[in-house]
Amino acid sequence: MKSVFIVYNQANTERVEYMLDHLQIRGFTMWDEVKGRGSNSGEPRMGTHTWPEMNSAVMAIVEDSKVEVLLDAVKKLDNINHEVGVKAFVWDILQMV
Amino acid sequence: MSIYSAAVKKPVTTVMIFVAVILFGFYSLKYLPIDMYPEVDPPYVTIMTVYAGANAEEIETNVTKTIEDGLNSVDDLEEISSVSRDNMSIVTLEFSWEIDITEAMNNVRDALDPVKDQLPDGADTPLLFRMSTSMMPVLFYAVSADESFSGLEKIMDEKLINTLNRVDGIGSVSVLGAPGRRIYVDCDPQKLEAYGLSTAQIGQVIAAENLNMPSGHIKMGNFDYQLRIEGEFRNSDIIENLVVSRVNGKTIKIKDVAVVNDKGREVEMINRFKGSDGMRLMVMKQSGANTVAVGSEVKRVIEATAGDLPADVKFHLLYDSSNDIQKSINNLSQTFMFALIFVVMVVLLFLGRWRATFIIALTIPISLIVAFIYLYVSGGSINVISLSSLSIAIGMVVDDAIVVLENIIKHIERGSSPREAAIYATKEVWLSVIATTLVVVAVFFPLTLVGGQPGVLFKQLGWIVTITVVTSTLAAVTLTPMLSAKMLRLREKVNGKTSWYDRSIIPVLDKIDELYGRVVRWSIYHKKVIIPSMLLVFIGTMVLARFVKFENMPEQDLGMMTINFECQTGTRVEKTNEVAEQVESYILSEMDDELKMTFISSGSDEDGGISAIFGASGSHVVEMRVKLVDLAERERSIWELADLIRSKMASMPEIVSYNVSTQSQGMGASNTVDVEIYGYDFQTTTTFANQIAERLKTLEGAEDISISREREKPQLQVVFDQDKLAEYGLTTASASTAVNYAIRGLTASKFREEGEEYDIVVRYNDASRTSIADIENISIQSPLTGRLIKLTEIGHVEEYWATPTIERKTRQRIVTVSAAPAKGKVLSDVAAAVTAELKVIEIPNNVSIEIGGAYKDMQENNADLGLLFLIIVMLVFVVMASQFESLAMPLIIMTSIIFSFSGVIIALLLTNTTASMVAILGAILLVGIVVKNGIVMIDFINLLRERGIELHEAVVTACKSRLRPILMTAMTTVLGMLPMALSVGEGSEMWAPMGITVIGGLLFSTIITLIIIPSVYVLMAVKGSRNKKAQVYKKFKFLDK
Repeated sequence: MKSVFIVYNQANTERVEYMLDHLQIRGFTMWDEVKGRGSNSGEPRMGTHTWPEMNSAVMAIVEDSKVEVLLDAVKKLDNINHEVGVKAFVWDILQMV
Repeated sequence: MSIYSAAVKKPVTTVMIFVAVILFGFYSLKYLPIDMYPEVDPPYVTIMTVYAGANAEEIETNVTKTIEDGLNSVDDLEEISSVSRDNMSIVTLEFSWEIDITEAMNNVRDALDPVKDQLPDGADTPLLFRMSTSMMPVLFYAVSADESFSGLEKIMDEKLINTLNRVDGIGSVSVLGAPGRRIYVDCDPQKLEAYGLSTAQIGQVIAAENLNMPSGHIKMGNFDYQLRIEGEFRNSDIIENLVVSRVNGKTIKIKDVAVVNDKGREVEMINRFKGSDGMRLMVMKQSGANTVAVGSEVKRVIEATAGDLPADVKFHLLYDSSNDIQKSINNLSQTFMFALIFVVMVVLLFLGRWRATFIIALTIPISLIVAFIYLYVSGGSINVISLSSLSIAIGMVVDDAIVVLENIIKHIERGSSPREAAIYATKEVWLSVIATTLVVVAVFFPLTLVGGQPGVLFKQLGWIVTITVVTSTLAAVTLTPMLSAKMLRLREKVNGKTSWYDRSIIPVLDKIDELYGRVVRWSIYHKKVIIPSMLLVFIGTMVLARFVKFENMPEQDLGMMTINFECQTGTRVEKTNEVAEQVESYILSEMDDELKMTFISSGSDEDGGISAIFGASGSHVVEMRVKLVDLAERERSIWELADLIRSKMASMPEIVSYNVSTQSQGMGASNTVDVEIYGYDFQTTTTFANQIAERLKTLEGAEDISISREREKPQLQVVFDQDKLAEYGLTTASASTAVNYAIRGLTASKFREEGEEYDIVVRYNDASRTSIADIENISIQSPLTGRLIKLTEIGHVEEYWATPTIERKTRQRIVTVSAAPAKGKVLSDVAAAVTAELKVIEIPNNVSIEIGGAYKDMQENNADLGLLFLIIVMLVFVVMASQFESLAMPLIIMTSIIFSFSGVIIALLLTNTTASMVAILGAILLVGIVVKNGIVMIDFINLLRERGIELHEAVVTACKSRLRPILMTAMTTVLGMLPMALSVGEGSEMWAPMGITVIGGLLFSTIITLIIIPSVYVLMAVKGSRNKKAQVYKKFKFLDK
């Protein structure tokens, strides 16, 4: 099992939901409003007057086999317009109850 | 922090806020006056102008027209009407009901100022009157006496009236028909002539003798004495011994030529009370005073003083509005208590928990008591309207609390702690609770904007329901979660067994749910059967609607009748009274058991000048009041008895016209269809009016036909010959003065006794004042010769018909023929019959007719109500459309409104109730209640569909699970109204129709709603239309690349 953490511009919310439904990924945890900025070129999303946009984040715990498919989908989403912004990170899940 | 979590976390604050509200509510309740209806001053201003000596036509051209023209452009004037009669012009201005009458008075006064200069020199300054509710008597006594009758006025004045005037809240006390005292010197004209005397000379002698004069002071010894001459009569016997003349050395005393009568004033008004002489005592309250308190205080004062009065003076209470009010309010309070009990029982039945029921029941008094605060702050009173509004609200205020509490219970049963459950369960539903409240507000708030006379009714209702429902919502999201957190517990199974409620009631309710589920499943798959058959039902009831009868205000059986009748104009009061006694004895013999008392008043009191405003008066007019025993103690209704009296009076030839009124004073006083005939020529219009009246008399269903124009009155006129007057050195003025003294009498002086003054009147004796020959024989002293001349020598007496009273409306002459509905008929019947009759009648040239009266008011009111209804429906649509974010959903719900009207029509026809304003109001209320049911159902269907459940399945599941809340709200409302619909006591005629319409409409529409709404929903819904996600996803293609 792996955890895929997707941070995306709020404008992408419906597409991310569609993506998860489409790939039949049922379980996820979503943070509605998160702040942050990219390491290189990513524009800050601070919800302030200067940087008014905000991000959302989704963490989905998926089977190892689904990780590639999901990252591929994220890539496709990012390809629509890089400026809007979506990023995915993967790490291992050690235990579950 | 949100309001509900704050309330749960600070229970003490929450409780204290509500305790404060309750305290203020009780304070308001204590100081609220009790009255029959909300107090609104009728928007009429009357201008009375006296122009002595002018006849009706002169008054019309010189005074009435001038005033009418001057006032025609006053702001907010609705209608101007006038009455011109001999010596007097009365112009009445009607304003719209919304205006401030004080401001209108000022406007009228300003407009009247320039007009005053245009009035004839002889006319008095116009007087302005304002109708006010404080002019209506709250108590009406007949005071009878035998031996003490002649001194009654004085006794009353000293012992009673002064005390009464000190009672708090009393506006005025007036006494009518008091005998009074007057000393008449009745001269024998032949003897006067024999001694060469005139009435004027006798008067001079009396005036000269009856004199006190201070004549300086005189110093004697150490003292200064005042000197006075005391010539005033110590008793009335002295008068007859006064010396008036000396003839041939003999002194002539007054008793030689006249008889001195110290007695009651000549009768111009006879009051009789069950056989003995009496007078009327009327008590008026100040506007805004508590009628019930004033009434009981007056009764206490009269009881206390009765002991000090002579034993034969008796008081009989003829009319006691405080008693009527008390009875109506008591009845309504009882209804209210029953409603409360029913509502609590329904809640207990559906929830099965004592604590939960208590929490919900608690919102009732809290929401209702806020209404008292509103009434107190806005200067209102506890009255029939405000109490019935509360009865309407009682079933609605629990709805919100029920929704919140149900959800809290659900969470508790899942195992949450009551505290957390209270917060999160309220959070889930509070928005939808507010939304349903908005719908109710959308229905009731527009009622507060209604103008005109119906506005009086609706304003309070609108405000009270709006305020109580909003309060109940506030309580539902604060107090209800707070109390739930403190009081509710997870129900533990006792010894592993479920409770009695769970074993017996729950299975029944479950079975009903299951049954209903099956009905819905069948009906949504058989839309083609259900929808057309429902349409048929609807069309069928609309066809039946033609049989529903309309009236303005339901009549109330208050056990009081006012009978007015007129004998031939000019009939002497004694003769009139004989006729009245005949009618009285008929009533006494015919309805002995039902009768409490009768009171007759014939003729008019000459002191009652202002009463001229209120209608015809004269020696030929009789007013009788008949009071019956309480409704519960008699079998026949007041209308049956009134019909008996009508038929008796119709058979009496002496009675020219009559009118039996069973209406109470105040609202909805008239219930007639008026045919207004406009035209200048008296002859034409009078003939035409008579023709119409004759026609209407033959109509079935119309009675009490009356013509507003008084019959022409025979009058006598003395015409002097100017040449002959001059020959004797007389003028018209001096000659007519002599005639005046002989007939009416000369007030020579005043007789003083114990601080009171009584007139001493010199005139011809009765025997010499009875024929035209007597008038011609009046002697007039010539100033030239000192000789007495007979009237025949200088003039003659002519008999002629005086011009009638001239009535005008909108500055045109008018005659009104009015017809009241007979027993079993209503206004709309009579109006239809009259209209049909008028089509046949040929209308003369220069005459126009119009239908007016209460019927016209009713039509105007109904048009207003129709518009109001449209506004309400639109508002409800707006609220629902925004709530569902859909235009179709509100339409589905609104089909249930249509069916509620079918229910109203069926209920009205079944109970044989007329559609009065109150019933129509009930129908409007239905909109809000019915729509609420629909919302609950549709909202849940939509929710299920959005969760992805298939359309048909969603409909069935939603209907099943929402059945209980719908039944619960419908039952609380129906049972809350039930006591109102069934009540039979005093005043119940007023509000029973509202109960009947709401119950009928709600029962019918609930049943229909439960079946047709699912079908219509399925018909109008597009599969998948509620799956918003699928619609969004359709656009996304990026993953497919």
